[in-house]
Amino acid sequence: MPREAEPSQNEKDFILKAVREGQRLDGRALDQFRQLDLKFGDQYGVADVTLGKTRILAKVTAEVTVPYTDRPFDGIFTIATELSPMASPAFEVNRPTETEVLLSRLLEKTVRRSNALDTESLCLVAGQKCWSIRVDLHVLSHDGNLIDASCLAVVAALRHFRKPDTSMEGATLTVYTPAEREPVPLSWLHSPFCITFSFFGAVQVGEDGAEKDIWLLDTTLLEEQLRVSSCTISMNKHGEICQVAKPGGAPVEAMTVVQCSTLALQKVKDFSDFVDQKLAEDSKHRNKGGLLAELSADNAR
Amino acid sequence: MPLDTSTYNLALLRVDGRRWNELRQQKAQMGVQPSADGSAYLEQGNTKIQCIVSGPNERDTKSTSSASTAPTSGGQGATVAVSITIAPFATVDRKRRGRNDKRLQEMQTTIASGLAAAVQGQSYGPRSTIHIALNVLSQDGSLLAALVNAASLALVDAGVPMTDYLVACTAGSTSSYAAADEAADPLLDLNTQEEQELPFLTLATLGATDRVVAMVCESRVQLARLEGMMATAADGCKGVRDFLDGVVRDKGELMVQEGAVGRGEVVGSMDLD
Repeated sequence: MPREAEPSQNEKDFILKAVREGQRLDGRALDQFRQLDLKFGDQYGVADVTLGKTRILAKVTAEVTVPYTDRPFDGIFTIATELSPMASPAFEVNRPTETEVLLSRLLEKTVRRSNALDTESLCLVAGQKCWSIRVDLHVLSHDGNLIDASCLAVVAALRHFRKPDTSMEGATLTVYTPAEREPVPLSWLHSPFCITFSFFGAVQVGEDGAEKDIWLLDTTLLEEQLRVSSCTISMNKHGEICQVAKPGGAPVEAMTVVQCSTLALQKVKDFSDFVDQKLAEDSKHRNKGGLLAELSADNAR
Repeated sequence: MPLDTSTYNLALLRVDGRRWNELRQQKAQMGVQPSADGSAYLEQGNTKIQCIVSGPNERDTKSTSSASTAPTSGGQGATVAVSITIAPFATVDRKRRGRNDKRLQEMQTTIASGLAAAVQGQSYGPRSTIHIALNVLSQDGSLLAALVNAASLALVDAGVPMTDYLVACTAGSTSSYAAADEAADPLLDLNTQEEQELPFLTLATLGATDRVVAMVCESRVQLARLEGMMATAADGCKGVRDFLDGVVRDKGELMVQEGAVGRGEVVGSMDLD
């Protein structure tokens, strides 16, 4: 099993000492995210998220299938993550690493279990036909903080996606092509985002020996390799926690976790506004001139 | 069948007659498997766990292929490998689970890296592995918490040095995420029925401190409830630690009575007085 190259002892010491003094290698503040960019593809449901050097592509597809027998009124919604060797030499094809399992579980809990997508609205004919929505997530470049970037990509892609319109007449189900009827957006209930806090042990503050945990937001791969533990908090902008996961690692004061969750809400609101704004820009770009241009008899010639 | 939480407000008693801050009945035994290096059996209500510890052994990749591993002392110490098996008869509906169930794998990882934080692995070499096999015999809520507690106890039985017990407990909230209900009570140590209906989290702390080693919350809950739930769970962890400590001391007392060791004698680094 190939492993990620470990940073050298000098690098480790340098970064850890800098972090204890409140400095980061790229000059960011401890709670500052890298440059975040979100692009949508020409097709509906393609989102390309760049966070510093981390790049994630999410693509949503829909098809009509038979629902699960134990859930006849629900559609099917799956998130497939793929960490290809392209992103990092530590990833292998067809052999999910622990990172991949944890990533897909986190996305599953954040987006699927929190009912962000109303699966009941995907049902076409109870017990016989339903939409199956599948999100394929590809990590194109891995420079740390895969979780936050992936979650943003999945949420953005799903909100951007339009599925073909359908109608039922008697017992016949008609699925319309985009030329016949404008595709419709998914029934989206809330937008959860993940915020990952990386812990780097504690430093003493003040004379009385009180200790304060040091944490960073949006760690690069190098910082991620040096952290002692991490905590991922998923929330929506209404302040509802969808999931919290601190999978072991060095212990952290309970109060720090509570403080982190308050800060996470603020960051989630920023993310939420960012995605809203990008979606609005994209729809404006697609709908040039609006209805008037469509109704006009003029042509380009 | 949905859990009827409406009666809770009247008598402040839960479905099984407990108050909000009561743990379920706990039973535990150490050294249930004489042939193993360390073993424990733990009951928390109707959740029953058996744990077998083998090792530290030289690393054997074949036996740890389905297990999740975590290195101790920053890669300088022994590796902790955890594998969980849920017996087909553990739940009401009998079903067989696949080996690569992602939920199980996630739990394995959480337990492995949680225990790695407590185990003093530097006394063994980095090429050794402590293998922890957890068998779930009966499942009735707080599964992750019970698994952590059982593993902790079995590690003590195996004589693996640890900074403190890694103890875990669940806590829930009586109000669902939708209600902006300020009078919601936190609940301690949930059973399956409550887990299905209420938002809850599992918290693992190092001994009786407020230092959080692992925390898992999988349900939607208002941010304002988090602190209350965490405080309740941390209290529960203290209770569990006292209980586990009692079990270990009773076992030590028994060993003295049976003449396995003399009173006041130091076994390894463990003082039996």
